[in-house]
This record gives sequence, structure tokens and C-alpha cells, in this order.
Amino acid sequence: MKLIEVSDLQKHFAIGNQTIKAIKQMSFSINQGEFISIMGPSGSGKTTLMNIIGCLDSPTSGSYSLDNNEVASLTDDELAEIRNKKIGFVFQSFHLLARNTALQNVLLPLSYAGFDKKSAIEKAKLALSRVGLEDRMDHKPSELSGGQQQRVAIARALVNEPSIIFADEPTGNLDSKTGADIMGLFKELHIKGQTIIIITHEKSIADQTERVITVKDGLVESDHRN
Amino acid sequence: MLLSEIIFTSLASLRGNPVRTILTALAIVIGIASVIAMLSIGAGAQKALEEEIQTLGGRILWVGSGQRNRGGVKRDWVPIEIKDATALRNFEDFEWEVSAEMKERRQIQFGNANFNANVGAYWSNFFDVRDFEIEHGRSFSEKEDLARERVVVIGADVPKELKTSYRAMLNNELMINGIPYKVIGVLKSRGSQGWESPDDEVYVPLMTASARIFGSKNLRSIMVKIPNDANVEEAMLYIEGVMRVQHDIGPGQENDFRINDWFQYRDLERQATAIFTALLTGIASISLLVGGIGVMNIMLVSVTERTREIGLRKALGATNKVIMLQFIVEAVLLCVLGGIIGVLFGSLLVYIFSYFASTFGDTDWPFYIPISAILGSLGFAAAVGLFFGIWPARRAAQLDPAVSLRYE
Ligand SMILES: Nc1ncnc2c1ncn2[C@@H]1O[C@H](COP(=O)(O)OP(=O)(O)O)[C@@H](O)[C@H]1O
Ligand SMILES: [Mg+2]
Repeated sequence: MKLIEVSDLQKHFAIGNQTIKAIKQMSFSINQGEFISIMGPSGSGKTTLMNIIGCLDSPTSGSYSLDNNEVASLTDDELAEIRNKKIGFVFQSFHLLARNTALQNVLLPLSYAGFDKKSAIEKAKLALSRVGLEDRMDHKPSELSGGQQQRVAIARALVNEPSIIFADEPTGNLDSKTGADIMGLFKELHIKGQTIIIITHEKSIADQTERVITVKDGLVESDHRN
Repeated sequence: MLLSEIIFTSLASLRGNPVRTILTALAIVIGIASVIAMLSIGAGAQKALEEEIQTLGGRILWVGSGQRNRGGVKRDWVPIEIKDATALRNFEDFEWEVSAEMKERRQIQFGNANFNANVGAYWSNFFDVRDFEIEHGRSFSEKEDLARERVVVIGADVPKELKTSYRAMLNNELMINGIPYKVIGVLKSRGSQGWESPDDEVYVPLMTASARIFGSKNLRSIMVKIPNDANVEEAMLYIEGVMRVQHDIGPGQENDFRINDWFQYRDLERQATAIFTALLTGIASISLLVGGIGVMNIMLVSVTERTREIGLRKALGATNKVIMLQFIVEAVLLCVLGGIIGVLFGSLLVYIFSYFASTFGDTDWPFYIPISAILGSLGFAAAVGLFFGIWPARRAAQLDPAVSLRYE
């Protein structure tokens, strides 16, 4: 089943009187349950692409439909709801709230979803145990290793049972051993049916996924299965 | 998202930067303290006045001597006399109570001790008119007054001034100008009321004092007590009429006596508090304005500092409304926190004010902080937070999530 369909996508940024064409032209589709990577050198437009298909940003032109709904027609509140319920983000620099514990960080999407405290805590604990952190719930980010922090972020992405998880350079701030662990975790989640899109500039990471879309200078260079 | 969670998040963020929070709240603290002081001192003045009217059970008009006008020049003082007071007392068209007063300092002696006291001479109705209570013994009667008997009632502090106790004095004789008078009553303490304390006074029947102590029929003043609901202007006109007849003043001629509304003096006091209140209002408005701008400034800084956090929260599903609410709640909490400290600080100011006003001033100033002042000023603090928090909160809500996540 088609989850994401992008056609003739363009994204331009205006800086002063200069226009940066971060995405010149991209078309592709992604099915439910895929484990896919979007690979390309730095500055090739990967994050820009993720922001658009993650409903954080809107394209300059072209169409994008998610679950057969055209995203361009949605209001800010509807987009917020999609980000909350259908999409989970994992970032290179983890993006955890420093003052909050692991559990509180994972609770955040649930509180925006309007869950009551009790069932939210249950779900958050379950998500943390899925990433192997059931005994670190009350730790603050500063008390956790990089790998553990990224696991908290993955638990946070998972907790609302989203259709897609986006991971933008998820291993970029980790050593190779920890990075491999995190990739192992993604594989595990994928086997259980989770759609995962990994954004990376490293071929070694992309090789671990089932399909690789290579982008360069705002264009799709290749799209192949491993 | 529940409001309680938003409040919890905001409190955590305020706690995360305690020095900044305190400094930002400081102007709000001063502003709200002034609001509390302003409202409470105003209310205290009103209450003091009301209590005074209450204890007097009426309003007192005061008739005193004036100067006669001859050929356009004010000359000789014209005394008011016992017969003037009697004429006012016998006047039946207005329901008032009249009390005549003579008062001078005299040497008082009891045993070996002596003291220079105010000796006041009054009709027997005086204690009723002024609502002075006799604590021990009794007051003198009209009969004793007319018979010029040598009896006195003493103020509560007189025994102390004479280094003895009321027990020792009651039913014994004290000497005024070397002549003995029997102490028949002791007043209940009134507390200081103006420059002459009723507690230090010795009260003698008017006729007794006129004949035996002062040797004169001239009065210092006549007090006319009218009921609270009576028309003051009308009463003054009646008094004027009676006095003009008494003093034989023809049409077109000026009065040779003065009629004062005793409460006008209180009004002066009220004006003084009004000036004080205006000053506080000024301080309050300026510090709340400055405080509000400070809150706005800090909230803008906070929005900038937390741009990435805002981006993240939006990525996780926070709507613009929730983000806006979070920052508004933070600004309001900041101001309410400042407001609570301000209320405590302001109450302390009011306490100090009432302490000094009561100890060194003329009147008993009650320490009184109306609940409405507390709720009102906290509400006002919240309103300041709301007003100055809205703009920064809107900026936070309108941040582009993609751009915010990139923000370094
Ligand atoms: N908000 C923005 N404003 C201006 N230029 C941007 C913005 N976001 C991205 N760009 C530019 O678009 C290009 C692609 O950026 P990005 O998508 O972050 O690349 P990648 O993630 O592949 O490194 C870069 O040249 C970057 O400077
Ligand atoms: Mg990038």
C-alpha cells in the first residue's frame, strides 16, 4: 500500500535576492512497511526533503500525498495532528529536553495527543522498554550516554505508534559501535512492521536498509533495492 | 494538553532560571506591594473614620468664639457663654445633643504627688454625648452640677500620672488648686485621640468648675452632636440662627462666633492620605509598566533561546495554540509569583504604616488589608502578565518548525 507519494517536488529558499533550489525536482513513492534510506552528500537537500514529507514544511511546488491525502490542503492544526499521530522523528542531535527525565521526554507526544496521565505513563514505559531503557526512565539526558539518549528519542518517536519514523542522520553523533546498535534497533522495529526512513550521507548506513534513494544537488540520482 | 501540564512545564522553566525569574519579578513585586499599600491604607482611613463615627454615635459640630467686626476691622474676641449653650440645648426644632466645655490646665494633687492636668468642665450629659464609658464608680448628675458639688471623674491614666492606682483614688479626695474634690468615677481608657488625651483629663461638673475653679461663665466650646443621618448644613443653619439671636447680631452683620464641622479636620487627614495614595498609585503604575515591559523582554529572550525546543515541540505535535498558551502561562505565572511576594511585602508596609500612624499620629490606625485588595492586585498582576506576555507568545507560536529545528 502506498504511504508516501511525491511528484515533481520543488523547494526553493530565498536568501536576500538569491534563490537556493534545495530540491530541484524529485518524484518517488514509498510503501507501508518499507525500510528505506535517503542518501546523499551534505547539502544535497535531504533534511529539506524530510521536513516536507514529515509535514514540518511545505513544498514550493509539486504535490505530496500521505495516506492518499494531499498535504498542501491541510491547516496548521491538522498538520500538527499528523506529526503527532502518524510521524515520529529521530534527530542527529537527539533533541531531548534537558530538564526532563527520559520518561517525561517520551511522555511529551502523548500529552499533546491528549492521553490521560495514567495510560500515557503506561505507554511511555512500554516504549522505553522496547528500546531497552526500562531501568533508565528517571534519568535526565545529561545522565545518559549518547546511544542511550538516541534510544530515548526513538522511544519518543515510537510511543504514539506512528505510520512512519523519520531518522535524520541518527548515528551521526555516535561512535560506530553505538551506531550499529541503533541501526540494529531500527531493523528490529522494521521486522515488526514499522515503516522507517533513514536519512544519511554514509553508504555503510544506507547499505543496511532494503532500499536506497540517492539524492544529489536537489535531484534523485538513483533508486534501487539492496 | 492539559492546563495543569502546561502550568507544570512553565513552573519548571521558571525554576530553571531562578535569578532571572526573581530579577524580572522584582518590579512586579514593588508594583503590587504599592497597590496593596494603596488600597489598604485608603481602606484603613475609611475604616478608621467609620469606626470614629460609630463610637461617637453621631456627628459633632463645634461652636467656638469669634471676633466681632467693627468698621470693617476684626476686633475683640467675643466669648461664648454658658447661656449660649443653654439656648442651644433648649432649642427644640432640631434633635441634637448639646455639651458645653470649659478646659484649662490646672495643678492636680493627690497625696504627695501632683501633675499639671487638663481640667475639663461639662454638663452631666457629656459622657453620653462623647460616648465615654465609666469603668469604675459613676458619673456626676445634673443635680450635683447645679448644686456645684465638689465631685470629679478622672481619665484612665490620671492615677498613673499621680503614681497611684484608681483604687486608691476612687471615693477619695484629690486637690485642684488646693481645694478637695471627691473622685466618684474613673473613665475607661480611650487611647490617644488628637493632641489632648481624654485619658489624662479630670472631669468636673460645669457649674462647679465655673464657680470654684475658673471663676468665669465663658466656654471654650460648645459641642452639638447631631444624628448620623441628619442634614449637616441644616443643623449648622439652625445653630447659626440660635447663636445670632443670643449674640444679638442684626441682619447684614457678620457672625462673631465660629461653627466647625469636627469631621472637616478628619477630612484634612483624609486629604493627606489621598496624597499618599496618589503617590503610591504613581509608583504602582510605573513599576507595573516597567515590570510588564521587563516581563515582555525576558519572554522574548526566552522564546529566542528556546527556538529549538519550540521546533521540537511542534515536531512532536504541539499546535500553535498550545505553544502560545505555554508562553502566556509562563508570563502570567511570573507576574502572579511577583504578585504574591508583592502582597506579602505590601502587607508588611501597611503594618509598619499603621504601627507608626497609631503610635505617633493622632488616630488609631487599624491594620487592615481587604481581601478584595489581595484578590484584586493578584488579578491585576495576572492581567499584566497576560497583556505583556501575548506578543512574545504569539511569536513563539508562529515560529516555523523546520526553521526552528535548524536554529543553533
Ligand atoms: N531554511 C532554509 N533557508 C535557507 N536555506 C536553506 C534552508 N534550509 C536548507 N537550506 C539550504 O538548502 C540546501 C539543502 O540543505 P539540507 O536539506 O539541510 O541538506 P542536507 O540535509 O542534505 O545536508 C543547503 O544549501 C541549505 O543551506
Ligand atoms: Mg541534513
